[in-house]
Amino acid sequence: MSSIALKTLFVKEVRRFSKVWLQTVLSPLVTTSLYFLVFGVALGSRLREISGVPYIQFVVPGLVMMTMVRDAFLNTSSSLFQSKINGTITDILVAPIGAFEMLVAYVGAAMLRAFIVGALVYVVALTFTFFPLYHLGWTLFFAVFVTATLALLGMIAALWAQKFDHLAIFPNFVLLPLAFLGGVFYSIDLLPEPWFTVSLFNPLLYMVNGLRYGFLGVADVSPEASAAVVLASFAVLLGVASALLRSGYNLRS
Amino acid sequence: MKPPVLRCRHIVKRYGKFTALEDLSLEVYEGEIFALLGPNGAGKSTLIHCITGLAKQSEGSIEVLGFDTVADFRTTRRLVGLVPQEINYDPFFTPVESLMIQMGLMGVEPNRERAEALLKTFALDEKRDAYTRTLSGGMKRRLLVAKSLVHEPRLLFLDEPTAGVDVELRRELWQEVQDLRTAGTTIVLTTHYIEEAEKLADRIGILHKGELLLVESRESLLERHGGRSLEDIYLELIRKADGRHAA
Repeated sequence: MSSIALKTLFVKEVRRFSKVWLQTVLSPLVTTSLYFLVFGVALGSRLREISGVPYIQFVVPGLVMMTMVRDAFLNTSSSLFQSKINGTITDILVAPIGAFEMLVAYVGAAMLRAFIVGALVYVVALTFTFFPLYHLGWTLFFAVFVTATLALLGMIAALWAQKFDHLAIFPNFVLLPLAFLGGVFYSIDLLPEPWFTVSLFNPLLYMVNGLRYGFLGVADVSPEASAAVVLASFAVLLGVASALLRSGYNLRS
Repeated sequence: MKPPVLRCRHIVKRYGKFTALEDLSLEVYEGEIFALLGPNGAGKSTLIHCITGLAKQSEGSIEVLGFDTVADFRTTRRLVGLVPQEINYDPFFTPVESLMIQMGLMGVEPNRERAEALLKTFALDEKRDAYTRTLSGGMKRRLLVAKSLVHEPRLLFLDEPTAGVDVELRRELWQEVQDLRTAGTTIVLTTHYIEEAEKLADRIGILHKGELLLVESRESLLERHGGRSLEDIYLELIRKADGRHAA
């Protein structure tokens, strides 16, 4: 393993999203803050408590997780896909860099971006409604493994995609609907059957509720069940991404 | 003869049913300039891609200074540099940043002084902090050459480095190639400007439809054909090969 190459690729990826911080950091912060203002502050003041906590607090972990999911995915997918399109992936492919270093550098940078944006959304939320973290350990566990999982999904999407439209399928037609239907704004206990049961097949439900448990100590599913789903998703996507990188899928002809 | 820096043995490269390289064996020796000539689609870039890691051969083995390019890829890629045919640049970074990043990727500790020295060598020092997208085509081409040298490779591949560049820049690039050879770098180049290969190359290989038709020193090739130009010899070989394929 080349530690210099790993560090260089990681720093390059971090500098890439830092150079366009308006688009990569500020834009998701503004968008999510608007969600918070509309659903948490404006509508939340009219809604009763959900799961024993004020609605304005209930939506915070969901919004933080929705932002982190989106940004972790977008960082790896856009960076790797753009490298494929503009040919600069050649610089990496001719270098003495293995699949492991590529994986760690791309995923690590995506996680950092997601943490920064997630933390900023949390700070904005705290200015409206202060509440202490219920469980730091679960919070960090879900933040780390969910962002890593979505960063891996972003890499797989970038490797598979042949055009920008392919890449757009994931955030617009997969992640956003799953996040909205994954209990960001409501508890699935409010849903009638069969939608309650259908919701249990949505992996984003476990990601949102895992972080909600860490933040507030309340969730629709137990943190252990959420952790199991997140770890299983992480393991599957890690295996797929590693295999694709090792085989040179859509990278080396 | 000096020991081979590059040894390709029975390379076959298939893309589905299409065979791009057919049982190709080749050796390139230390300190020489080897020109690989052939029409479009002959397999020149495919061969270079197999050696540099951009493609994987279907059969056969490739060694760089005795190291296998698959089993010992970390070693061989550290020994090899590539100037790709297509100009590419990262719009997020300046030339000096691009060179320092490439050093790191090649496993060399990034060094700003060395990056600036390389930019000076390639007359890019005034543009070191400009966005790469603002550079002219010739400057971007020179930056590609500089990037390929950040780790001081023993074997350098130039895949049509003068395609689409003006006469002045072509001359500058070829001068740089000769300087690199003088400094001890082994060079494999592809070009469509056959008269340039005739002036520069120590040995010449002609590739056609994935087959290596000929590998010979420039001097003996020209001598054997009684003073005819390399371009005439090249065209005759290609026509004969086309005739064989048609038959």
